[in-house]
Amino acid sequence: MKHFKTIILLFITLLTCTNTLIAQNSVSGSVVDQDGQPIPGVTILDDNDQTNGTVTDFDGNFTISIPTDGTLNVSFIGYETQTIAVSGQTNFSITLEEGVSALDEVVITGYGSQVKKSDLTGSIASIGSEDFESQPLIRVDQALQARAAGVAVTQTSGAPGAGYKIRIRGANSITGNNNPLYVVDGLVVGNINNINASDISSMEVLKDASATAIYGNRGANGVVLITTKSGSKGKAKIQVDSFFGTSQVVQHIPVMTPAQFAEGVNLRDGVETISQARIAELRAGAGVNWQDYFFRTAPFSNVVVSASGGTEDVDYYVSANTYEAEATVINQDYSRLNLRANINAQLNDKLKIGINNFVSRSENTGARVNLATGIAWDMNTPPRDSNGDYNSAPLISGVGNGSPMPLLGPENNKVENISDQLITSVYANYNITDNITFNISAGIEKIDMTNSRYTSSEVNGVTEAVVRDQQGLRFQNTNRLTYKNDNPDHAFQADLVHEQQSFEMSFREATASNFFSNSTNFKELSLAGIQNTDSGISNEKLESFLARINYSLYDKYLFTASVRADGSSKFNKDNQWGTFPSGSIAWRISQEDFLRDHPTISSLKARASFGVTGSQAVSPFSTISIPGISTDNNYPFTGGVASIGVAPSTRMANPDLTWETTTQFNIGFDLGLWDSKALLSVDYYAKKTEDILLSRVLPEFVGPTSITQNAGEVENKGFDISLSTVLYDKDDLSISSDFNLSANKNKVLKLVDGIDTMVLGNTYYNNSFPVNPTRVEVGQPISTFRGYHFVGVYQTGNSDGGTPGHAKYQDLDGVDGITTNDIGNVGDGNPDYTWGWNLNVDYKDFNLNMVFEGAQGNDIYNFQRMRMMGLGSAQFHAVHADFNNSWSATNPSNTIPSGTQASRDANQWLSSQFLEDGSYTSLRSASLTYDLKDVLNDIGIEQLKVFVNAENLFIITDYSGFDPVSTASGNSDVDLGIDLNAFPISRSFSVGFNLTF
Amino acid sequence: MKNTYKIFTLIASVLLVFSCSDLEEDRSGILSLDNLQSEGDLVAALTPVYKELQETFKNPHFMRTNTFGSDDITTWWGGNKAPLRVFDGFNYGNGENSEVNWLDWDWKGFWKVIYHANSLVEGLKTSTAPDETKNVVEGEARFLRAFAYFQLVREHGNMPIILDGMTPTGDEQRATVLENYQHIEADLLFAEANLPAPGATANVGRASAAAAKTVLADLYLTWAGWPVKDTSKNALAATKAKEVIDMGYHSLLPIDQLWLLENANSRESIFSVQFSKEEDQRNGHPAATSFHMARGWSDMYPELQFFNDFPEGPRKDATFVTDIPNRGFSGGKIITKTPATIPWAVSQRFHPMYGKFTASEDLTVVGRTMGYRPIEVYRYSEVLLIYAEAKAASGSMDASALEALNQVKRRAAGLDPNTADALVDATSATVNDIVTEKGWELAAEHKRWFDLIRTETLEDAISRRDPSEQVPLVRQPTKAQYITPIPAEAIATSKLTQNPQGFRVQ
Repeated sequence: MKHFKTIILLFITLLTCTNTLIAQNSVSGSVVDQDGQPIPGVTILDDNDQTNGTVTDFDGNFTISIPTDGTLNVSFIGYETQTIAVSGQTNFSITLEEGVSALDEVVITGYGSQVKKSDLTGSIASIGSEDFESQPLIRVDQALQARAAGVAVTQTSGAPGAGYKIRIRGANSITGNNNPLYVVDGLVVGNINNINASDISSMEVLKDASATAIYGNRGANGVVLITTKSGSKGKAKIQVDSFFGTSQVVQHIPVMTPAQFAEGVNLRDGVETISQARIAELRAGAGVNWQDYFFRTAPFSNVVVSASGGTEDVDYYVSANTYEAEATVINQDYSRLNLRANINAQLNDKLKIGINNFVSRSENTGARVNLATGIAWDMNTPPRDSNGDYNSAPLISGVGNGSPMPLLGPENNKVENISDQLITSVYANYNITDNITFNISAGIEKIDMTNSRYTSSEVNGVTEAVVRDQQGLRFQNTNRLTYKNDNPDHAFQADLVHEQQSFEMSFREATASNFFSNSTNFKELSLAGIQNTDSGISNEKLESFLARINYSLYDKYLFTASVRADGSSKFNKDNQWGTFPSGSIAWRISQEDFLRDHPTISSLKARASFGVTGSQAVSPFSTISIPGISTDNNYPFTGGVASIGVAPSTRMANPDLTWETTTQFNIGFDLGLWDSKALLSVDYYAKKTEDILLSRVLPEFVGPTSITQNAGEVENKGFDISLSTVLYDKDDLSISSDFNLSANKNKVLKLVDGIDTMVLGNTYYNNSFPVNPTRVEVGQPISTFRGYHFVGVYQTGNSDGGTPGHAKYQDLDGVDGITTNDIGNVGDGNPDYTWGWNLNVDYKDFNLNMVFEGAQGNDIYNFQRMRMMGLGSAQFHAVHADFNNSWSATNPSNTIPSGTQASRDANQWLSSQFLEDGSYTSLRSASLTYDLKDVLNDIGIEQLKVFVNAENLFIITDYSGFDPVSTASGNSDVDLGIDLNAFPISRSFSVGFNLTF
Repeated sequence: MKNTYKIFTLIASVLLVFSCSDLEEDRSGILSLDNLQSEGDLVAALTPVYKELQETFKNPHFMRTNTFGSDDITTWWGGNKAPLRVFDGFNYGNGENSEVNWLDWDWKGFWKVIYHANSLVEGLKTSTAPDETKNVVEGEARFLRAFAYFQLVREHGNMPIILDGMTPTGDEQRATVLENYQHIEADLLFAEANLPAPGATANVGRASAAAAKTVLADLYLTWAGWPVKDTSKNALAATKAKEVIDMGYHSLLPIDQLWLLENANSRESIFSVQFSKEEDQRNGHPAATSFHMARGWSDMYPELQFFNDFPEGPRKDATFVTDIPNRGFSGGKIITKTPATIPWAVSQRFHPMYGKFTASEDLTVVGRTMGYRPIEVYRYSEVLLIYAEAKAASGSMDASALEALNQVKRRAAGLDPNTADALVDATSATVNDIVTEKGWELAAEHKRWFDLIRTETLEDAISRRDPSEQVPLVRQPTKAQYITPIPAEAIATSKLTQNPQGFRVQ
């Protein structure tokens, strides 16, 4: 808000600026464009006195009085501004070059519609390839990070190839899916994991309801429209882009020395579990810091080769990409390969057809070490004995924790996850008349995932293999009729769309155990003594009708309205159809006479929108109860072979299930200053989601333990602010900046009638906590952290009667003793605001691009540290360096309780003791590029750029874990901000080049 | 060009016609439970009722969390055993600690047994299978339902009554203990009348009429004690136990044979929960009752006072392990370290272990000791002791009751149970004597807790607790600790009232 006030003040000051008039000489001239056509309405100003000016007439001619040593400033929207010294001349012939101003950029709004940014009525963030091309990217969602206001992109895992969590203006649903809808070249797709970032031409994020309502029942979580590149007329362009580098985790967590660990074991056990003689050996250098074994410097490389071009009638873009990366965590490897071919052909003056084709494979291999139990494993036992054989169990049993030696799994188990994706779409566009266009398109997405894993007998004596093959097939057909008139004063466009989609999913899973040999692992299941299979199939269909109109009156008043009807097979006949209307208006104030040609305000537009969207984010068959059929229901009546059981459903049928609806109101303005050198967009929105598809827990005596209901309301309110500025642009130096800030307040308004709180999150930590660490509560954000309020450590001689060294908690209920009634809300994982800042500096042939990014005000439950302090299920002893500062009679710590077993038992580990501030500021990416411009022209190289890049060069935070970004919560919104066995994000350095022939 | 236009119109209309595809889900891949026809259908629906019982029983420390106050078991003072320590040390009684882990294990499991049984009984009402088959299956479903309610009521107090034909909403209230006993009794009477005689089927895991009578006898004995204290039920308990004895099918095994894997499902076993090596369905008792040094989890082992009081002899040898195996894990296999065993008093947990569960252990399954032996839910020796106690309690102690007691005592001494022995045989016995004997005989078999509260002797037993036990005793138990809390999540998601406010006897 402070920024906003400053800008308003600045703005007023500039408006009231005046200067005195002085005597002039008269000069004249004409202004034409690159093709020699005269341009009317061009602003001609005296550069030294901006109150003195004129505009060109219909033939592009002008006359102005100006001192003979003065300077002309010639500007027109959409063209590069020129400054010309008069130097005694009296007649000028000026050619203006087209410059793409940010406001003239075309924004894709869905269903074939393209709108100039200046004509937008809704709230849409647009990102073009030029915005991210100086950052070496692998994933599409990476490109969105820190670049769009209102779009929270979180890297929940540091595993190469892992997905990002994207939330557009907060989470609407509680247990339902809150992922945005991804539309690639008009085709809805299941995921964008495999898409090559360098194939992207632009991405639009539809945020407000007027933008998303055209996607009706799936638009509520926002829509990401991805447009891939296509060729342009002219000479074929062959491009080779590559980068390679290495990654490391940002930091290790401090641990005790092995000798300190051993002393801690003895303190906790109350007996000499580890002998003094052994402690002396540990002090002399024996023992293990497990993190040294778990993390590595990991190389990665990426190569993209593309060719594009076109003739008068046909254009093409084809690309191939291969990416390979090791993870910073041992034994984790990722590779991806993808191919794309986009071809468009103008068959005649009315008919155009095209095909977009994409095939990819990604492969994740390796069993991952469990960082939660692994780092906290016995520091006294090295992974191998003096013969080189594994120490599979602690040298002294019951030390550390009960897990197998942490390297057994990663070094012996096998994991292979393969994901194949095929996306193909074809379209035909036919101009029935000059004003009416018919567009028909059809697309297929085929996903094939094979997840295989094998547990070696080395780890726990058992052998087990599971191979799961899952296939998905999505079909979409869209038929669109568009009418567009030619009247600039009453520009009118109407679209009618009919769309049908289907999605079929099936899986087959084979589980095999009791292998007599580890050698063939999951590749030969028939070697297993016990073999089981499972399978499943589901289907869903969607049919939709959409009508949309855009109307622009005198290019000042803009209206958009749409209505979409969706019918979904997920719901029963009576509840199948939903209608989702929206409307928006915008007023281009800068087109009004009183602002037109204003020297400071180059554009100003006010916008307002309202609309209803929906979500059907439940799985198929949610309305019915499904009997349980699996080995979990089989029972061996004879003590031998099990008989097959069919159990009643664990979910209660709900035939009344229907849409979840989100109503959103948005108001905002776009302001351009100083010839669009500064562009400010501010949006305020209020969203309310009702009839939420909520999976509710039923008490056990009811029988089925859950039901999916339409219950509950959630509200999201907030601001999106983005400010793009050209800070400096003279001579060889230009500096530009894009800053965005998002503040979202999420609040649960209602749950099931009569119930104000629900426990819906993951239990975490294998039931270590008697109370779930998060819950959903009316009046609070969706995910609220629960716990005891830790207030310190009881000191010797305290007057409260507490045992010295034990943790002290706030007694909320006033009843003696700390019981679960004293558990309260201790925080939440929602940031107050997030921000991103992209700074771009061009100096001569150098380019420096920096992306900063941060979040403020979110809490993290640091269960990783809790476990490392020797607390929680099956963790017997501590390894964390903080344990050295535990309370003792001689070290009266008030932050870390005593390390004894009695203190451990009395310690409520689900407490604010482990809640930390997760706010951070990071330099997400910094790239320095050198352009060897024309140097290599002679040998046919059009362009060669070389660059160096650093990711996560720094993260400024008070958070004590690996990093404040990665999280165990994954994509969940009901238990946000939990750190336990999360895959840390990495710091990486790379070098690369872009070569164009 | 005109043609193109026509083609387009055609394509468009074809597609719009296609679009009239119906929006119904294809549910042909989903099995329906509404129509139980063949015996195969009935067994398929009966299987998950038993399965849930197996799930509930297989990990004793989970199922038995809230009965750890019993004087025959204690737990490790460290590790993840905090929930067990809460109950071992009586840190509950006024609704607190209702959220501890594992407390809801038996709650969830037994309610699932009830749900599966209710669905099956309801399905039978429209089933076209032969009546004879239906009655047996209904008998089994109602037997298991009764047993599940019996466990829940004895542990957590009076329960809401949810039987077949009801469509519960979650708003139901708790009935009284007496009302619960009555519907449990009705189910067992039906089961008793319809189940086959013991040994009539090769499916050893399925309940017999003897099993139904045994649970009935146990129910009546409980009914006669705390909290309902209707002493007229003692006589019924004796009658039912006697009926089982008189069936003549069941008998006692030699004590050193009893706990072996190969002697599972013997004539001593009246009802047991089955596991399977072929299907790798594992019994977690060996791991739960072994120390970490023996490749177990140190969950459950004898209290010192109980062990010290336990009379010496073959039964004590068969019940406990006093030389604790010293094992490691290497190369995917459990190995024996040197020395191979360590005396219990200086072992890792400074306690003996329960040998009755480790006698059948299998060290080749995983890196922990495991087992496949069925869990004895009711053994014949319990029937004998129920009979003796019920006779004593109803003031009709006679020779047959003394003989029943003495059969157990003789077997415990390694003798033939049916041959009188003056050195071993008791010539008189009080209720207390018999309850104590039952404690030894059925040590750690999930019986002792119920005997202690039923006879209101928990306070006495715990007052004798060995002071060197490491699990801290938060308080000496009183009646407030007889009934354990209802799991917090169940309270939060329903309208049930937590104990002790919600505890109503009649």
